Amino acid sequence: MKVPISWLKEYVDFDASPEELANKLTFSGTEVESIQTIGGDYKGVVVGEIKTIEKHAGADNLLICQVNNGREDLQVVCGARNFNVGDKAPFAMVGAKLPNGMEILERKVRGVLSRGMLCAEDELALSDDHGGIMLVSRDIPAGTPFSEVAGPPETVFGIEITWNRPDCLSIIGMAREIAALFGTKLKLPSVDFMERGEPVDVMAEVDLQDAEGCPRYTARVLTDIRLKPSPQWMQRRLTLCGVRPINNVVDITNYVLLECGQPLHAFDYELLRDHKIIVRRGFSGERMSTLDGVERQTLDKAVLIADPVRPVALAGIMGGAGSEINDNTRNVLLESAYFNPPDIRRTSSKLGLSTESSYRFERGVDIGGVDWASRRAAALMVEHADAVAAQGVIDVYPGKQENRKIKCRFSRVRSVLGVDVPDEQIVGIMKFLELQVAGHEKDHCIVEVPTFRPDLQIEADLVEEVARINGLDKVAAVVPQAKVVVDADDSVTRAVIACRSNLTGLGLMEIMNYSFLSEQLLNAVSTVDIDSRVVLPNPVSSDYSVMRNSLIPHMVDTLGRNLAHQVDNAALFEIGKVFLKAADSSISEENHICVGLMGKAGRVGLSQRRPVVSEEIFLWIKGIVESLAAAQHVDDVVFKTAEHAGMEKGWAAVIEAAGKPCGILGVVKPEIRKKWRMIEPIAIAEINAAVFVSNIFRQVQLKPIPVYPAVSRDVAMVVNESVRHEDVIKIIKKAAPRELTGVELFDIFRSEQIGACRKSMAYSLTYRSLERTLTDEDANRYHEAIKDALKNELKAEIREGK
Amino acid sequence: MTLDEIDKIKEEGLRECDAVKTLPELEAVRIKYIGRNGFLPQIMKGLKDVSPDERSEYGRIANEFKNRVGSALDLKKAELAAGGAANGESTFDYSMPGIWRGLGAKHPISSIIEETIRIFGRLGFTVAEGPDVETGYHNFEALNTPAHHPSLDNTDTFWLETGELLRTQTSPVQIRVMEGRKPPVRIITPGRCYRRDTTDATHSANFHQVEGLYVDRNVSLADLKGTLAYFAREMMGPGVDVRFRPHFFPFTEPSVEADFTCHVCGGKGCRVCKNSGWIEIAGAGMVDPRVFKKVGYDSEEFTGYAFGMGIERIAMIKYGINDIRFLYENDARFLQQFV
Ligand SMILES: [Zn+2]
Repeated sequence: MKVPISWLKEYVDFDASPEELANKLTFSGTEVESIQTIGGDYKGVVVGEIKTIEKHAGADNLLICQVNNGREDLQVVCGARNFNVGDKAPFAMVGAKLPNGMEILERKVRGVLSRGMLCAEDELALSDDHGGIMLVSRDIPAGTPFSEVAGPPETVFGIEITWNRPDCLSIIGMAREIAALFGTKLKLPSVDFMERGEPVDVMAEVDLQDAEGCPRYTARVLTDIRLKPSPQWMQRRLTLCGVRPINNVVDITNYVLLECGQPLHAFDYELLRDHKIIVRRGFSGERMSTLDGVERQTLDKAVLIADPVRPVALAGIMGGAGSEINDNTRNVLLESAYFNPPDIRRTSSKLGLSTESSYRFERGVDIGGVDWASRRAAALMVEHADAVAAQGVIDVYPGKQENRKIKCRFSRVRSVLGVDVPDEQIVGIMKFLELQVAGHEKDHCIVEVPTFRPDLQIEADLVEEVARINGLDKVAAVVPQAKVVVDADDSVTRAVIACRSNLTGLGLMEIMNYSFLSEQLLNAVSTVDIDSRVVLPNPVSSDYSVMRNSLIPHMVDTLGRNLAHQVDNAALFEIGKVFLKAADSSISEENHICVGLMGKAGRVGLSQRRPVVSEEIFLWIKGIVESLAAAQHVDDVVFKTAEHAGMEKGWAAVIEAAGKPCGILGVVKPEIRKKWRMIEPIAIAEINAAVFVSNIFRQVQLKPIPVYPAVSRDVAMVVNESVRHEDVIKIIKKAAPRELTGVELFDIFRSEQIGACRKSMAYSLTYRSLERTLTDEDANRYHEAIKDALKNELKAEIREGK
Repeated sequence: MTLDEIDKIKEEGLRECDAVKTLPELEAVRIKYIGRNGFLPQIMKGLKDVSPDERSEYGRIANEFKNRVGSALDLKKAELAAGGAANGESTFDYSMPGIWRGLGAKHPISSIIEETIRIFGRLGFTVAEGPDVETGYHNFEALNTPAHHPSLDNTDTFWLETGELLRTQTSPVQIRVMEGRKPPVRIITPGRCYRRDTTDATHSANFHQVEGLYVDRNVSLADLKGTLAYFAREMMGPGVDVRFRPHFFPFTEPSVEADFTCHVCGGKGCRVCKNSGWIEIAGAGMVDPRVFKKVGYDSEEFTGYAFGMGIERIAMIKYGINDIRFLYENDARFLQQFV
């Protein structure tokens, strides 16, 4: 909201610079966001008359004008073309300095001498308008100093009013705050005027059918109006507040809106059938055209102002076309009313139509001040539009209520704030805020809340008033005391933090993507999941239209985008929620862990040039998952071959923990990678975090450190290609005595000598007893048994050598 | 062989190993001590003559012999192979890059969240979390936000087909915790929130907040200020102070906005703080009695404070990130800087 300081000063006396005032307001809860100076001293700027206009021979877009400054004609080159011969405009002469700092010099423009400048509004710091030069009335003599036309410079605050303070959405409301802050009295303008017309109830009728939507409606009638421009001072104030002047009647309603925050509406009295106003709800299917020329169709249940045949206004939001003030208007019915905030909000939101009026009504105007505003506007119309006011007012006020009374306990104020405010100070603050102190007892007072403060409902609201007027700088920062809530448990969060630390310890970098993504990105990875997708009904854009049901699409995309930035190795992880829609449309959330590898991420040391093959990258990511599982104390993790829509066939495995699937890993399909121009394989794992964080705080139970030496034996064997490591392990474990404490695959190789579709696998086995030192004979005996089992069950050809 | 003898042979072996100057000499030492006919097989053979109750100790000593002498030989071999002793000077290129897998990095948003948990953890706050998909009741109504408040509009809030919504703040977690237990409550609630903002340098439709709630007997605004002042110094550095400005939030009364001293200029005024010396960080206040009423707390017996802060904002200010979008672009060149 824009607030010119000169206007404030009409209602409240204070002695402070704009900066001091802004500071005081900001620290009492009314944030001053900007302090703007409009206009300037305009030295060297006069009203110039345009005498001739010619085209510039050297430039199509320039004009050459002779401009009279009251004494002589001066040649000026001008880029604008929004004027004619005889027009008058602010003319900055050579030597002038404009508010924006520009100095006017005599200069040549494309070879033509230019001795001054015709100014646009922005160059004069009057507005942001640079649409052409500013034109002033032709009645003003050339040579008049422009400062006389523009008036002195003005300081205008840009103020942010919080939602709970509709009373501050006006100059008087702000003045009331300032009066409280400076401890001075608010001065209200006079609303007295002569009522020379007929009694109003003879001239008009109000039928208020909807007391819920409209708890108060007033109407005045003003006749014999002469439409003309409003007075200069009023136009200037409107302009400073960003409202365009139109004519005296419209300007007066806007002026009173800005002044006291009460939206008014002026109907052309003659265009109201039977001079009758009906306040009612819209019917289903009813429609009307609003002032902006738009046909509004969904008026069902909206509060409407109607005459006996048609709606004439969308109550509290916008007038209707066909009943508004026009060039022929002579008689006016002036509406001032209070509309129910939720109703206005609903209609405004449904129609997507927000106005200065609806903005105030939906926050709540001063129901007690409705008639004051009407009188104020009527008085201004009598004075500035030659209006004849009808006698009296139609004031239908079914929603009238007694003012709310709130008990304010002094000790409560002090204990909530932690500030030692004296009783008298509390009572004083209430009075400064124009709250009536109805009773002042030993330990409390009773505050009667005026209608302009609908936000004050309970004692806590009064505590806030004391806090902000007394000053929050009085609140000391008490050194905090640690305090333990014994049964609180945040172990899951700590387990996730541990998981994150383990992943970074494994050399992975954490990424973070949005919870929503485009359908296109989801489809790029898979479309088998469509039924589980939660689609947003009102996304910000199609890029963020579906909640993610997997972290994999974002991971692929992140790797791909990094590759496009020439980052060709990456080891990334993300921990985040996925959202899944069930068959009954209910939505569930799961925390997932996703790991993604690209390039030589798993290769340490040299030989970086050797391309990464699928086998390598698969084993790296499997290694990460195994390490993470170990670090998170997840036992019994097994990997089983699986199919996955996003993974290459044969290169995907499902991760099982305690016999239940909890994730997937694998090498991403080439046709998916291709969309990001990723040529080398990338690997991704996705794990349900719940399984991986549930066990981390398990207590370690120390096992004895072995005291007897271990004996190790190697076995190398040639087997068919189809034999898997897991098969070998299974057989070894079955055949081994309990002294077998370790099995490690240490080599695989293939060669012509071994033969096609065959491979040599070499394992190192460790035997150790907890009770004695094993002899070579013991070890040999165990080892032979294992070799026999491998021979028999795998058709393995044992390679003897060691 | 007695245990003492084994020990003595071990010491000799280590000394001899240390003294050798060439690889052939070293090989001779190896054969002597752990070769097929050396000391080690003899020692192992001796095991069977040892009485059962001495066997464990004998085994341990034998094992130690094998390990100590073996590793001394390996080390010496590496040393000689590198040429150090042979030529009197090393040709090893110590300037080659070290080889070990590098450390990863936490995302700056995670780092700020974890740091916040740590700071408040010292004061006895525990973490509470809740769903991202919330009910209108928990996100708005229970927090004293009237049904016609603009934040409920579907221009501001992501409403879902189920009638639920994506939470616009982590405050619903406070409600859920209070619904579930009696005071005292001392929690912080980090988490992801959503608002229908068009993304630009300072706005993101998907963002993170951490809120705090303390409900107990005799909690005051002064306690809140002290707690936030402690957090400010721990998070942003010594000398960072807190000031309050009055504000409005539906769920607190009084409501304040908390500014921290600009840690860049120390309060003198700079580009980061727009010359004010202060940076707006948190919204806070005393829990509105109307909220307590919703969760069945007696606001005469208990008072409480609540506060909320944007994680992205803290990360941006702390790390000098000037565009919120960097936090979600996941450019490795950005993330790497947080190792
Ligand atoms: Zn600064």
